Amino acid sequence: MAAPIVEFHRVSKVYRVGLLRRRSICALRGVTFSVPRGSVFGLIGPNRAGKTTLVKALLSICRPTTGTIVRLGRPAHDRSTLAQVGYLHESLAFPQYLTAATLLRYYGALSLVPRAELAERIPRLLAQVGLADRAAEPISAFSKGMVQRLALAQALVNDPELLVLDEPTEGMDLVARKILHDLIGRRRALGKTAILVSHSLADVERLCDQVAVIREGQVAFAGTLAELVRDDAAAVTTATLQETLETIYAGAAT
Amino acid sequence: MVRDTFRQSWASGIGWLLLGLSTLSIAVCLSVSVSGPRTLERPGENPDFLPRFDADAHDLQKLKQSGVAVADGALRLAFGAVRVPLARDTRSAVHFLELILAAGVADTLGLLLALVWTAGFLPGFLEPRAVAVLLAKPVSRWALLGGKYLGVLAFVLAQATYFVVGTWLALALRTGIWDASYLMSVPLLLLHFAIFFSFSLLLATCTRSTVACVFGSIAFWGICWGINYGRHAVVAAAQVAPQAGFSWLLVQLVNLGYWLFPKPIDIGRLVFDALGAGANFRPGVEGLASVSLGLSVLTSLLFTGYVLFAAGRQWSQTDY
Repeated sequence: MAAPIVEFHRVSKVYRVGLLRRRSICALRGVTFSVPRGSVFGLIGPNRAGKTTLVKALLSICRPTTGTIVRLGRPAHDRSTLAQVGYLHESLAFPQYLTAATLLRYYGALSLVPRAELAERIPRLLAQVGLADRAAEPISAFSKGMVQRLALAQALVNDPELLVLDEPTEGMDLVARKILHDLIGRRRALGKTAILVSHSLADVERLCDQVAVIREGQVAFAGTLAELVRDDAAAVTTATLQETLETIYAGAAT
Repeated sequence: MVRDTFRQSWASGIGWLLLGLSTLSIAVCLSVSVSGPRTLERPGENPDFLPRFDADAHDLQKLKQSGVAVADGALRLAFGAVRVPLARDTRSAVHFLELILAAGVADTLGLLLALVWTAGFLPGFLEPRAVAVLLAKPVSRWALLGGKYLGVLAFVLAQATYFVVGTWLALALRTGIWDASYLMSVPLLLLHFAIFFSFSLLLATCTRSTVACVFGSIAFWGICWGINYGRHAVVAAAQVAPQAGFSWLLVQLVNLGYWLFPKPIDIGRLVFDALGAGANFRPGVEGLASVSLGLSVLTSLLFTGYVLFAAGRQWSQTDY
């Protein structure tokens, strides 16, 4: 079996807040799980559970207080592996003065994609997300859904091994959702990995092979969806995903 | 990152505003003409003056016939619409104009405009929603911040070069006086901006607030100016009137502040000296105090380096 593409080992994160940074907020508590290579992995949980903090720690946007994270076989503090990672942030603020094409060139260059490759890839990506005819328009003229589609193209600009999508369907219309689902499906067929943070159970059920349920900064469950909804005692599936998650979110033992 | 900062500068309007001001200044220079003697001093000659109340000194024709060089030239602005009689030769009149452009327009108005306008670039750049995707790229935070800082400097350098070279060419073409010392003001303007923008960068990494960056960097500029001027005033006063008797502690504190902080007046003096401002302006206390301009620039650069390091360190430890 191939080595996991991502491994979290006893990861904790404490934020110091307040004017004197005396108050502390524990966002993650000893999180341990791994993401298999080539899978679509769902990260689910109630609001403020720590999902986004976990993603930020994975992408070196914040440092874990304790524990280790391995990304593409290297420790997460080694930024070179980020060249093989694409990230779609939950609430983006792209520079409004850029056009769709210049934005992709800018972020592509920062992802160390050669210029010639970018010139070939950008029109194709814009066509994939349905923005081919808006390449020269400034982002300030885009609707929220169009910005989300552009953000998806941005996350794919370096043809990443690992795609991290934080609430990607937020603000997307049905067409854009279908584009996203198709893209993830095609990437899975190519053996590429995606981590999907989502509140949309429909997306999770449709796309994910495995999930981790995060609650109060801890892993409440990690495994396949079938394992999640199965009643171990009776060895049968007794509940829907929604019912199971409601139980977990409410804090009952699983 | 540099190219992106240029795009941001044009989109924010500061690029067009500075370009417009520079073009206006070049147009004004293109409307300038001078007449009169090119220089009133002969090589190796010490300048001398006629007694103010000498009756002969008022009869210009008589003076000219006797061989005295008379400053009877004129500076014309707006293609001759405004005529300013010259009390100096044409070379120093052009220097005087260049001094107004370098010190007044570029180093004061231009610098403040650039400082205020670009102060918003960094807090916007460091805002969590904007920076999250950048931080997930295989580029270090030091490189991102340094790239943004250098981008703003490159923009200011381009603007300063356009202004100085444009006005220099315009004045030279119109007056026939080609003096390259004015071009020295390009690196000095950039140095001046780089020092105060580094402080804006530090404020941005600590507060992510545009208001703090705008007012903080202007206040810092004022404080540095005050410390620089205060030190020279104390030194000059001690030279001119030793009996004034400043306390030892005050002198040491003033000196400490002077050597620690950037020195805008000393840097400005480099431009003044390059343009021979002494012929046009009586030196202030800063001219009386003994100053090592090289050391001033070096210590100002050391301060800038430390502030940039502090800003980079602050940001590299910031969690999002």
